[in-house]
Parts: sequence; C-alpha cells; structure tokens
Amino acid sequence: MDFSAALPVADVVAFNRPAIDWHAASPELILLGFGALLTLVDVIFLDRAKQYTAALAGIGLLVTMVPILTLANDMSETGPRVMFDGAYVIDEFSLIMKAIFILSGYVVILLSTNYIAEGDYWESEYYGLMLSAILGMVVMASSRDLISIFVAFELLSIPSYMLATWKKRSLESNEAGLKYYLMGVFASAIMLYGMSLLFGASGETILTKVNASLSSDPLTGESLSSSTPVLTLAVIFVIVGFAFKVSAAPFHNWAPDTYSGAPIPVTAFLAVASKIAGFVALVQLVFVGFYARADVFQPLMWILAAASMIIGNLIALRQTDIVRLMAYSGVAQAGFILAPLAVAGDVGDQALASIVSYLAIYAAMNLGAFAVILAAARKTGSTSIESMNGLFSYAPGLAVAMTIFMFALAGIPPLGGWFAKFQIFFAVVEQGGTWAIILGVLLAVNSVIALYYYASVARRIWADQAPDGDLTPIRIPPSLGAALVLTVVATLVFGFLPGAVSQFTDVGLIAGG
Amino acid sequence: MEITSNWYLILSALLFSIGAIGLLIRRNPLVMFMCVELMLNAVNLSFVAFGDRLGDIAGQVSVFFVLVVAAAEVVVGLALVVAISRRRATTTADDLSVLRG
Amino acid sequence: MISLIAQITTGDDLLVAQNIFWWFFALVTVLAGIKVVTTDNIVHAALYLVIVLAGVAVQFVFLGSEFAAVTQVLVYIGAIVVLLLFGIMLTRGSLGDDQLVDTERRGMGALVALLLFGLMAFSLVDGFEDVVLPEDTRNLIEVEVPIDTDIDDDEFIRTQRGSDTAAIGDTIFESYIVPFEAVSVLLLAALIGAVVIARKE
Repeated sequence: MDFSAALPVADVVAFNRPAIDWHAASPELILLGFGALLTLVDVIFLDRAKQYTAALAGIGLLVTMVPILTLANDMSETGPRVMFDGAYVIDEFSLIMKAIFILSGYVVILLSTNYIAEGDYWESEYYGLMLSAILGMVVMASSRDLISIFVAFELLSIPSYMLATWKKRSLESNEAGLKYYLMGVFASAIMLYGMSLLFGASGETILTKVNASLSSDPLTGESLSSSTPVLTLAVIFVIVGFAFKVSAAPFHNWAPDTYSGAPIPVTAFLAVASKIAGFVALVQLVFVGFYARADVFQPLMWILAAASMIIGNLIALRQTDIVRLMAYSGVAQAGFILAPLAVAGDVGDQALASIVSYLAIYAAMNLGAFAVILAAARKTGSTSIESMNGLFSYAPGLAVAMTIFMFALAGIPPLGGWFAKFQIFFAVVEQGGTWAIILGVLLAVNSVIALYYYASVARRIWADQAPDGDLTPIRIPPSLGAALVLTVVATLVFGFLPGAVSQFTDVGLIAGG
Repeated sequence: MEITSNWYLILSALLFSIGAIGLLIRRNPLVMFMCVELMLNAVNLSFVAFGDRLGDIAGQVSVFFVLVVAAAEVVVGLALVVAISRRRATTTADDLSVLRG
Repeated sequence: MISLIAQITTGDDLLVAQNIFWWFFALVTVLAGIKVVTTDNIVHAALYLVIVLAGVAVQFVFLGSEFAAVTQVLVYIGAIVVLLLFGIMLTRGSLGDDQLVDTERRGMGALVALLLFGLMAFSLVDGFEDVVLPEDTRNLIEVEVPIDTDIDDDEFIRTQRGSDTAAIGDTIFESYIVPFEAVSVLLLAALIGAVVIARKE
C-alpha cells in the first residue's frame, strides 16, 4: 500500500551528517566500549568472569582518563570544543568534572571489590550498571542542551535506583531503592515540566540560546528587566527537580533512608558522584541556561542553601548512625555548595570557581569517610556511631584516616575542607548585599555546628573504649587500602596546596557562561 | 472560539496537577507509577503544543526521549515492586516501615 | 491536523465541530485522570489510565503530530500499561486493597491540586495568551485537493504542512545523537538491572 498518497510527505528534508569531533567524544566512547565489553565477558564466560569484572571496570575508568588528560592538554590551543551547535561542549569545567566523576567512580569500584564479592550480590551486572551511571555523569558534564541534560540525568539516576536496591535479600535495601525511585521520578517529572516551559518560552533547547531569549521580550526584543510568571515557574520547576537530586532541604527526605538501606559502596556513590552530577547540571543551567534570570534563581538558591544548611546540621546533631549522620551532613554540605549560586548573578567567576573547588574536595573527603565506615563495618558489622568507639585501640591507621576526614569535613586547616569553605565564604561575602552577608553569617554559624558533630565522632574514636573490649585488628583488603590511601592523599594535598585546585579553577571555566 | 495552543497548555497543566497530587496522596506504588505517567504525559502534551506553536520539531523530538525514558522508568519501578512483594505481604508506601522517615 | 481540516473547509460549521470534539476529548481525558487518582480499585486505575493516554494521543492528532500520537499508542498503551497490568498481576494479593487516605487528606490534596493548577494556568495564560508567532513555513508541500462540484474548479492546488515524521528522524540523528545513544544505553541498563532485581533467587 502506498502511504504517501494517504499522507503526503515532504521530500525536501535533507539529512546532514553531523560533524563529530572524535577526540572530544572519546572518553564517552571508551567508557561505553568497556561497559559493552563487561557485559559481553559476563555473557560469554559466566561465573568464571566474576572475579575479573571489578578489575575490568576499574581499568576501563583509568583508560578513560587518558583522553581526558590529552583533551585538557590541548585545551589551551583549541579552546572549548563545541559540537552539535552548542548542545555538547568540552570546556575546562566539563573536563574537570569528568575527571572527578571518573576518579570517584574508580574509588567506589575499589570500595566495592571485596564488599560485593564477599556479600550475596550479583557481581558483573553491578559493575555494568555502575559504568552506565558513570557514563551518564560524564555525558552530563558536557550537556548544554535541555534534552541532553534530561537524558543524562536519567542515565545516571535509573541505574542508581537499581544499585540502591542491590542487596536483594534485605527488605531495607529494597525499600531504600523504591523510596529513592519514587522521589527520583517525581523530581524528574517536575524538572521536565519546567524544561517544557523553558522550551516554550524561549523556543530553544540549547542552553546558550535559551539564555539569549530569556533576557529579552520575544515580541518587542527589548530586554526584560524582571521575569515573567511563566519564566519564574519554569526556572523554579527545573531547579526544584535538581534540588531533589542533590538532596537539598526541604527535598532531602529520601537521602537518610536510602543511604542507610543501600549497600555501603553504593551509598558512597550516591552521596558523592550522583550528588556532584546534580550540582554539575545546576551549575550549567544557572551559568549558561538562565544566567539572565538572576532575579529568579538567586532568591530560590538562597532559600535552598539556608534551609539545607540549617536543617541538615540540626538533624545531624541527633543521629546515632554514622551513615545517617553522613546523609544529613551531606544535606548541610549541599547548602554550602548552593550558597555561591545565590550570588552567582553578581560574582559569577568567583562563585563558579568556589563551587568547582568545593566539589573536588567534597568528593575526596566524603569518599574517604565512607571508605573508613566500610572498613570498620567489616569488623563490627554495624554502622552505628557507637561501633566506632575506640577505633584507635585496634585500628590506629583507620582512626587517623577517619580523624583526617572528619576534620576536613569540619573545615579545620590545613585539611582539604577549610580551603573549600573559605572560598565559598569569600565568594558569598564578596557580593556584599544584605542578603549575601546574612548568608555568609549562616555559613559561618553552620560551620561551627558541624564542627560539633564531626568532632564528637573523632572523640569516640580516640577516647572511648572499644565495645566489649574486642581488640582484634581489622583486615583491610588491598583494594580498600588503595581507596583509603588515595582519598587521604587527595584530602591532604588539597589542604596543604590549595593552589593545586585553584590552578584549575581560575577563570573562563565554562563556555558560554 | 478557536482552540488555541493555550488550551492545550492548560489541559496539560491540569493533567500535571492531577498526577502530582495523586503521587502525594496515593500510597500504592503501582498507582503512584500511574500518576508519574500522568505527569509525563502532561509534559509531552505541553512539548508538542509548544512545538506546534513555535514550528519547532524539537517539541516532538522531546516526546520521543520522554517516552523512552518513561518506559525504562516503569520497567525499573515494576522490578522494585516485584522484589519487595516477594519479601512482604503488603506493599504500600506507608508500610515502608523498616526505615524511619 | 484539525487546523488542516479547518483550512480545507472554510466556514463555521467545522469550527464548531472541532470545538465540540476537542472539548469532548479534553473532558474525558481529565475525568479519567481524576478517576486514576481517586479510584480504589487498582485495575480500574490502570484502565482509566488507558483512557487518559488515548485522550492525550487524540490531542497529539489535533496538534498535527501523528508520530507522537502513534508512538503514544504503541509505547504507552501497548507496552507501559501492559507492563503495569503485569505488575498488578504479579503482586496481586500481596498488595491488598489500596484504601485511599482519609477524606481529610483527600480534601487537602484537592486543595493543593487546585492551587498548583491555578498557579500554572495563570502563568501560562499570562505568558502565552497574546504572543503571536510567525507562521510555520517548514515542511510545506503542495497537494491537490478534490473538491465537491459545488465549486467551479474540479480541483485546486493548496499548500499544507506535510508529515513531520521524516523531519523528526533527521533531527534525532543530526542534533540529538548524543541523547539518542544515551537512551539506548539506558534501556539496556534498565533491562539488565530489572532482570536481576525482579528475578527469583
């Protein structure tokens, strides 16, 4: 049957082969290749492959670092590489973020190696899903287009829902996954509606073009001095969608439950990589997509930042479980990272640089803390804070590492966290407005509150007696040890040589911002 | 009175609100999935309506992506519900009681 | 597509017919949507969902997006609802009756829904009421339209919008190739993960 008679089709449509910069796309392609290889190896060799899948995933991530380094090396000559009319951009920001995602993914795989092999888990599928989630993050770091951001967001979220429920026999893990899933799909629906409004109001999906049309009236071409209701609604919906992902208050309810129900390496993955991906999307949207609408996003970010810091810290004070403590501390830290966005319209470069440094340091110290929790749980089998009591008496190395991470999280010089916190504080105060000063005061007050609960963990480790006087040392497998060493070194280097971070975060990070 | 694209947008807003509230008041995970589908359909409708009024094909392209993602979401959601129902007698979101709120 | 029909047959009769149809389908869609949310029987909820999805497909046809309408029917009604029904079947009994929350909460829900809808409708009307955009000139084709003998000419040539489907395919593989590849990975990952999670030990 000839359908063309029934429904005439225009034959003028011509397909133009898109120009692809293969060098710029190679990190994604390598990661994709290793993901496919992992699946194939699992299918062909079945159980014999199990012991190699973790190594394969780790090697895949390390190989992916190679093109990222060569791209970074070329960056000074070529400048940002732009593909698909600005929908996919490789600039300094995206390369730094890709490196953070891949390295933290690597540390998570080191953490998982023994945990997954010794527990009752499906192994190769675990690493396959982990790689696809990391692929989603790597894609996210370059996506400068509403549809790409949405798809990358789903690619990193949907495997995470499944990983959170990977402890199949535990009802707690299943419920953690379901709760995370329901919150996640709700958030993505809200975000999508916001994106459709943005598309409708601007007529574009590419962020730079969205920004250009948000700053002027579509009818008259005059620049808009204040937002219209529909733009306000669109920006709020999109930001609220991502606020769920970064577990900013008041959208943080899923985080403590999901974190304590999921397997510990997955918790580390969710708390670090997945959360940073949410911030990357927010940064791209704010700095590229609707930078012109500072009158909308700044107050919203202010509220989210203040609420997250206060609620996160106050609830963290009452926690008795170390994973839940880390979850609420994560909420509070989300507030810290959102704070510069509340002044981004005025001090953009500084705000962006402070966020990027904080994210790098955040990854190192949080992954480290989860590594110690994981190591301690190998002996005690529990994640209550009491189980950390007297850690020093039987595992001095772990005790020192945990102290470093806790003090880094609290922001005590010369450990990593202080530099990140100061940069954020100065970026906020630099703006100088009343609201910015109030936010600065909140930042300072909350740093002090946070110091209390971090320090109390450290005190238990050093001063208290081990439960039941059991002093058998903890056997730390090599991969877990490597993860601990990597994170300790990173935390110390970021603290003693803050230049190591700020060197990368100077100016002109994000193309089109 | 002609049906302008504004009416489609308002229909979409209505469906979105119904879905959002359903998600908040219902406690059966499967019904909650359906409410998410309602919301995503509202999004699709508004993408197509905007695409139509703007003369931009990106509206319909978005529908394609939303549709695929929705399918993946439902698959994962059902797998989670089946896994939980194997382990307990009733599955309602209020009964997610092993974890404190 | 309805605009297409309206162009062919000038006159108010069709406009009235179009309006009646639009309002009928919109009303059915919304009522079915409310039933999805309020009905106590989960199987009924799934069936009402079919009505909503079909109603939205009809709206896509009104908007001239056959591709979206057809995929809506194939993927949503054909695959997603069937999956949901399977889910209901597999968890039957263990799910029990889905008693709705108490009436107080239902009232609160309705109130919040009205507020949300009011806010959205206000913004939409405010934002898009009077914006007139240039005529869509892409993808125009000339077709011969046979006309009843009332009019003198046997037939006449007119321009109308062609099908967008080819353009959608081109756009996906030109500008949106990265998200396209990403969703293909996503589908594979969802498939593998779902099998592992739902599988009996």
